[in-house]
Amino acid sequence: MLPTLSVLNLNGAVPQIAVAGAGMLIMLIDALFHRGSRRWAAYLALLGLAVALARVVESGASAETILDGALARDGLGMAFALVLIVAAALSVLVAMDYLRREEHERAEYYALILFATAGGLAMAMANDLVAVFIGLETLSISLYVLSAFFTGDAASREAALKYLLLGAFASAFFLYGIALLYGASGTTRLVEMGTAIRLAGTQADPLLWGGVALIIVGVGFKLALVPFHSWAPDVYQGAPTSVTAFMSVASKVAAFAALVRLLVVVLAPAAPLTSALLALLAVLTMTVGNILALAQDEVKRLLAYSSIAQAGYILVAAVAGEVGAAAVLFYLLGYAFTNLGAFAVVLAWSRRGEGRLPFSDLAGLGFRRPWTAAALSLFLLSLTGMPLTVGFVGKLYLFGAAVQAGWTWLAIVAVLNSVVSAFYYLRLVVIMYMREAEMPLALQRAGLALGVALAVCAAGVILLGLVPGVALDWARQAVAVVLS
Amino acid sequence: MVPADFLPILVLIIVAVGMSAIAIALSALLGPHKSTPTKLMPYESGMVPVGDARLRFSIRFFVVAILFILFDVEAIFFYPWAVYFRRLGLFALIQIVVFVGILFVGYFYAWRKGALEWE
Amino acid sequence: MSLTQAVFILLGGMAVLGALGMVTLRNLFHSALAMILALFSIAGIYVLLEAEFLAVVQVLVYVGAIAMLILFGIMLTRDIVGRASAVRNRQWPLALAVSAGLLAVLAVALVRAAWPLATYAPAQGGVADLGLALMGPYALPFEVASVLLLVAMVGALIIAREARE
Repeated sequence: MLPTLSVLNLNGAVPQIAVAGAGMLIMLIDALFHRGSRRWAAYLALLGLAVALARVVESGASAETILDGALARDGLGMAFALVLIVAAALSVLVAMDYLRREEHERAEYYALILFATAGGLAMAMANDLVAVFIGLETLSISLYVLSAFFTGDAASREAALKYLLLGAFASAFFLYGIALLYGASGTTRLVEMGTAIRLAGTQADPLLWGGVALIIVGVGFKLALVPFHSWAPDVYQGAPTSVTAFMSVASKVAAFAALVRLLVVVLAPAAPLTSALLALLAVLTMTVGNILALAQDEVKRLLAYSSIAQAGYILVAAVAGEVGAAAVLFYLLGYAFTNLGAFAVVLAWSRRGEGRLPFSDLAGLGFRRPWTAAALSLFLLSLTGMPLTVGFVGKLYLFGAAVQAGWTWLAIVAVLNSVVSAFYYLRLVVIMYMREAEMPLALQRAGLALGVALAVCAAGVILLGLVPGVALDWARQAVAVVLS
Repeated sequence: MVPADFLPILVLIIVAVGMSAIAIALSALLGPHKSTPTKLMPYESGMVPVGDARLRFSIRFFVVAILFILFDVEAIFFYPWAVYFRRLGLFALIQIVVFVGILFVGYFYAWRKGALEWE
Repeated sequence: MSLTQAVFILLGGMAVLGALGMVTLRNLFHSALAMILALFSIAGIYVLLEAEFLAVVQVLVYVGAIAMLILFGIMLTRDIVGRASAVRNRQWPLALAVSAGLLAVLAVALVRAAWPLATYAPAQGGVADLGLALMGPYALPFEVASVLLLVAMVGALIIAREARE
């Protein structure tokens, strides 16, 4: 039976349509009048994201599907969509002055950010594994191109190539996993797949286990979980800093959205085994990420390893399955502000034409740039998990969810890891305020857009840290409405 | 169609591969082997070759090849719709129009950006 | 052994041979040719499975277009045509272990699975069913796929244009 327009209920897909549509509009306008400043493209991108955000906030959650069951409009999907849109909007603000400074200002940049966001939105709300896959590919391919955006730059090209090769490899695993799960259940719709698996029982089906293992490997690559992380430091360091900022948040939000939905809707009957597997990955990811971060002497690469470790913390709550979903959501919201903010400071301070920011460059900046330095200190404290920041509340809920689900030892490992991470995060703060600069850095003037982005990030970190109640209630209510 | 309908194609492949294999094998076995430097040149008693035969291709070929693949895939997506478009009805038509419309944005972009010009 | 089985063994053997050749041959161009052999054999296997449309797509897209693009890619790159490249690096034992692990997972899953017999036989190579599926339940992936193709096009143009300048 073919659906009619009314069954499709396109109204619910407005966020995706608005975001992708704005991207196409940017391409058309750029193709027609390609002269002068590209500021307008950034504003148009922000407009598209604002429409999508308004639509997500206003329509609210309901456990219904649209597009003939392919997209879920439930709380889980809408909430992750909201985090993703906020992250994308901040990424646009962060990039505006940076691209001009580096003389790579082009309209396509914003179009690609929008297409990546549209792919991520499809992943977050998809109730169908094929849709998840196509969304993932749209997100990934946009990110490969964005990594190569500074085309004259060898590091950028190398990053893109590494990302492309390993990303394609991961996609193959993911796709094979989908095929096996389809073989096990006879459907690609997540809800029906969950029902089929529950009815069949999970004891004997090798197709199910093979499929789950391959999908976890595929998602593990995208989330840069250890031992699938080897691409991440080089790609994060080589890609343009504004792209790294977007990538480190957006791909994590989208992949965790899909992972949480898979765990809650489809794999709940298989929980004992998937949880054990994910717990192992979480321990490896946190520990290896933190230990390698200790050895770094450059801020961008340090933040790359820190992002790996952060994915490990989030995975601790994902292990708890349904219990941890709200904690994952809340932490990702805080992480979006914190990580984007930290990368924005790196981008503001790094030398022109150079993505790197060695530790020695930070010396003395605490007093030469008091506001920006204070913001970076705030983000680093939040990444550590210090009280009064969103990082503290977030980690409390992440690890609390693990304890609640009976994974106490995992929570203890995570706390110990946070203690280790304090060494390298706080060392940066110490260098900024306590050390004299040997060769003072020639600082660029930060533009207005970057200032706005930094202010929003800092405000988010402080507000969510001081009064987390509202956001936590929102997260809890959102994940309570899951299509199943 | 059943796989047996493809038997002629299989036979054709076997014949084609077999004939070329036989031709190469026979000339290698029966032909006289008296190679001199002159005989080994690409054009015996013709022009003296200059440089390497393995040239680096222009990047323009790559752009053309990529565009070809994308529109090739697009055409593949048309096929299941085109075969049964009467049964699929108006809604499917709208879908195809949207699909083509999105790709047309890319086509227009490529055209205006000069990707289709050879210079 | 029926004719179908014989043809399957022939095609499967060719596919494995092509895949092995692709990873072991020292000349990159020969690797690409071996890949074409593997892709072509897989098209033959699709025919055996009565998925003719898929077989045609396999030949048109993979053999006809993607393999061609890879050959272009090799020829576009300076100094790699006709030169032997290393097929191994220091990490080959690790790669072997990962590949063996993947093979084990897949082999166990495929051999031990209780394959349910399909009760539905699609007609005409499944084209009609494919059309219905793409226009109905898979409308969303179908439309997102066109955005995906668009992104690929923009990406290729951005990267290639810079390389030309």
